Amino acid sequence: MDSDPSTRAPGAASLADRAARLRRGRATARREVRAAIVSVAGLLGAPVSNQAGQRVGRVVDLVARLHTGERYPPITGVLVRVGLRVSYLGASSIASIRHRRLTLRTAQLDLRDFERRPGEVVLARDVLDHQLIDVDGRQVLRAADLYCAPIGPDIRLVGVDVSLGTLLRRLGPRGLRGRPTPDRVIDWDAVTPFGDDVTGAPASVRLRNSDRDLRRMRPADLADLLEDLDRVERQSLLDRLDPETAADALEEMEPDELEALLREADPERAATLIASMEPDEAVDALRDLQGVERDELLARIPEPARTNLTNLLSYPERQAGGFMTTVLAAATLSDTIGDVRARLEGFGDNRADIDAVMVLDDDGSLVADLTLWELLTHAPDETLAALLADEQHQLEPVTVEATATVDEVAAQLIRTRRPSVLVVDGDDRPLGRILADDVVDALLPERGRFRFPRLLQ
Amino acid sequence: MTTEPTAVQDDRPGRSGRVRQRIAASARRIPWLRTGLIYAGSLGPGLIAANAGNDAAGIATYASAGSEFVFRTLFFMLLVTVALVTVQTMAVRLGAFTGKGIGALIREQFSLRLTAVALLCLLTANTGLVVAEFAGIGAAFELIGINRLWVIPPAALAIWAMVLFGSYRYAERVFLLLSLGFFAYPIAAILAKPDWGEVARNLVVPNFSTSSAFLLLGVALIGTTVSPYMQFYAAAGVVDRGAGPSGYRAARFDAVTGAIFACAISICIIIATGAAIGGKGPLQSASDAAKALVPVAGDGAQVLFAVGLLGASALAGAVVPLSSSYAIGEAVGVERSVSRRFREAPLFLGLFTVQIAVGATIAMTPVNLIGLLIGTQVLQGIITPIVLTYILVLANRKDLLGAAANGPVFKVFATILVVGISAMSLLLLGNTVLGFFGISL
Repeated sequence: MDSDPSTRAPGAASLADRAARLRRGRATARREVRAAIVSVAGLLGAPVSNQAGQRVGRVVDLVARLHTGERYPPITGVLVRVGLRVSYLGASSIASIRHRRLTLRTAQLDLRDFERRPGEVVLARDVLDHQLIDVDGRQVLRAADLYCAPIGPDIRLVGVDVSLGTLLRRLGPRGLRGRPTPDRVIDWDAVTPFGDDVTGAPASVRLRNSDRDLRRMRPADLADLLEDLDRVERQSLLDRLDPETAADALEEMEPDELEALLREADPERAATLIASMEPDEAVDALRDLQGVERDELLARIPEPARTNLTNLLSYPERQAGGFMTTVLAAATLSDTIGDVRARLEGFGDNRADIDAVMVLDDDGSLVADLTLWELLTHAPDETLAALLADEQHQLEPVTVEATATVDEVAAQLIRTRRPSVLVVDGDDRPLGRILADDVVDALLPERGRFRFPRLLQ
Repeated sequence: MTTEPTAVQDDRPGRSGRVRQRIAASARRIPWLRTGLIYAGSLGPGLIAANAGNDAAGIATYASAGSEFVFRTLFFMLLVTVALVTVQTMAVRLGAFTGKGIGALIREQFSLRLTAVALLCLLTANTGLVVAEFAGIGAAFELIGINRLWVIPPAALAIWAMVLFGSYRYAERVFLLLSLGFFAYPIAAILAKPDWGEVARNLVVPNFSTSSAFLLLGVALIGTTVSPYMQFYAAAGVVDRGAGPSGYRAARFDAVTGAIFACAISICIIIATGAAIGGKGPLQSASDAAKALVPVAGDGAQVLFAVGLLGASALAGAVVPLSSSYAIGEAVGVERSVSRRFREAPLFLGLFTVQIAVGATIAMTPVNLIGLLIGTQVLQGIITPIVLTYILVLANRKDLLGAAANGPVFKVFATILVVGISAMSLLLLGNTVLGFFGISL
């Protein structure tokens, strides 16, 4: 949503801040680590000397193994230019890494060609200057510098520098370029990098803390992250989310952004995501895609969702049928309150779309619309027939035709002061439901984000 | 979604915009309809590209070419068209296959220092263009007798405020409409009854001169036609639409038709001006340039020219500084914060404001406006090969584009092109430097 903590929901803010405070107490903040921090950007091109102090080459890049499940990924090796050749040296031959200086343990060099093992990334090439997610700040950033430090026997990646000043530092004279300036450093634990899957290695994703935090994020925040990432990174983020979480986030995205995301995603995945979305949101998304693209996606969506979506698509967007949800909870007159409550448990995935339960008679025509209030305040063993006998007039279903306009739906809501209305066909059979928030969405002018390329379209 | 509605620029089309989108959608499927629509001036990236090339500085440069060399620059313009098509194709391909803007690609693929060089070049070229746009606004008003000192400061403030407070997209439609006045040029070119044999001969027969005047104008023609910001814009457009590798062919078609269309208009400007005032030496004033429209508008030529110039300048006056701010934001990694809170993104806002301020200030200095306009295009022409080199290197990279990287033939062709353009710029620079010491070639 918003990275400014003052405008966040209070609960989310305090939780995130607590997490951030905890993290601040970790590696980069510990004095001994701080003193030993080495800038990766500064190491590039730095001299490599052997045990005897003779210069043997220059640092080209560092290799780290991400996604090991460890908090701070270990540096597994270094790429060194010796003469004209770039070779790989394992971490075991590194004696120390200091500011702009790398010393080897041995005088002898065992030079090999670099072969990437699963989970390994080449830091300067794939992570530095690339996008990553700051999980605490819930934002997408570009790494201005990476910091590593000796922790125990290993050298590990501990943080990411994201400040503008660091960029300027790196433009400056050589001596200054590698001096760590850890003023805006994000602990590596709070970062979701993309390095290894971006470069096409087998995804050996093991759950990190930051990934777990990602999944716990609110859909709106995830939607922002998805919008902010470039294409490959965006698809990679989708990889790390289960379809349900991803679909929830997709529902919160700007229509234009969602359209672009679905267009660039693999059609199989796009279809899975759409099938997991609420029907009304899924229809909105499909509507924005054009003929062939839409058909291609629809063909991959499993039944019965496909027929449902096709039906919904047949209504014009601005009519009730076009923005209703088809998730409906139904009950019959012979059900007890307890039965209905039990049935509602099955709607967990669609809870945002359920705010009432419609009551049908034996012919399947609509007799009443029960709000959640009735379900809470009446005894579990009371039958709906008995309940309706008492309060029939209050539970009269409020309906609109599928061809009603947004304004008509709004008028109906205002008149009856209900949180939702049912959409019915000509024979009074229920087709779907429109909640007040759907009407708000439809009435508010759509507000996109500032997009420079679209300025002239 | 966002909690700060006031700070968000509304760039979603309204209800009528939806209809427009539908038309655009059906046009996308039927090529002839789409081409027809572009010509009708209603929508399409082709029109945008055409307008981008035919801003104030473009008009001045093409008109000056017609005035000074009559039709002799036509063959050169054909070469420039080929260059534009080639470059735009590469830009669109980078966007489609990587899903990233060129600013982001440069940051990820080159060292930070090289990134800084590229962006500094873009910023300089674009600031030059902003100068030209405000000079264009000034020139438009001077045509109807209003001193530019009265006009440029409020115009700068208005454009700045409109972009900041989100009302620009309404104004932009007006500007776009105004700039359509320049679509009178193709008609003017025909009505002026030029010697078509001469035109055809100059289009086919290479005609180069090594005179410094020709060299200067040649570099300006390259600069104004192959403006660096257009490549950034083309790639960003493709990325924004989510057009992936499968959408590349369509995107390329867009880019190529747009480029050819833009250059066709430019050639018409040269022909119309060449026929009207050709051979009278370098263009002196906007009022001379307006004479080319007399066959269409008669006595109204000055007004038609002024209106077109105002629209085109005001349009580019916002797009160009935004383009450099966006590219730099993208490279730094803050472009997305911009998309949510334009007014609160300090880097973006600062760059945008500085460009507008510098542009307006320089445009108010008491120099010949036409000279200033062409000067900014020479600057662009000198910077263009630098930016093109980056794009060429990116498009050559197999580890970036895979099979979509430049093939051997394309690579050789594009390299020759960039080297050719660089050679012209270097020649001009050398010529100018030698000129300082009183040596002329």
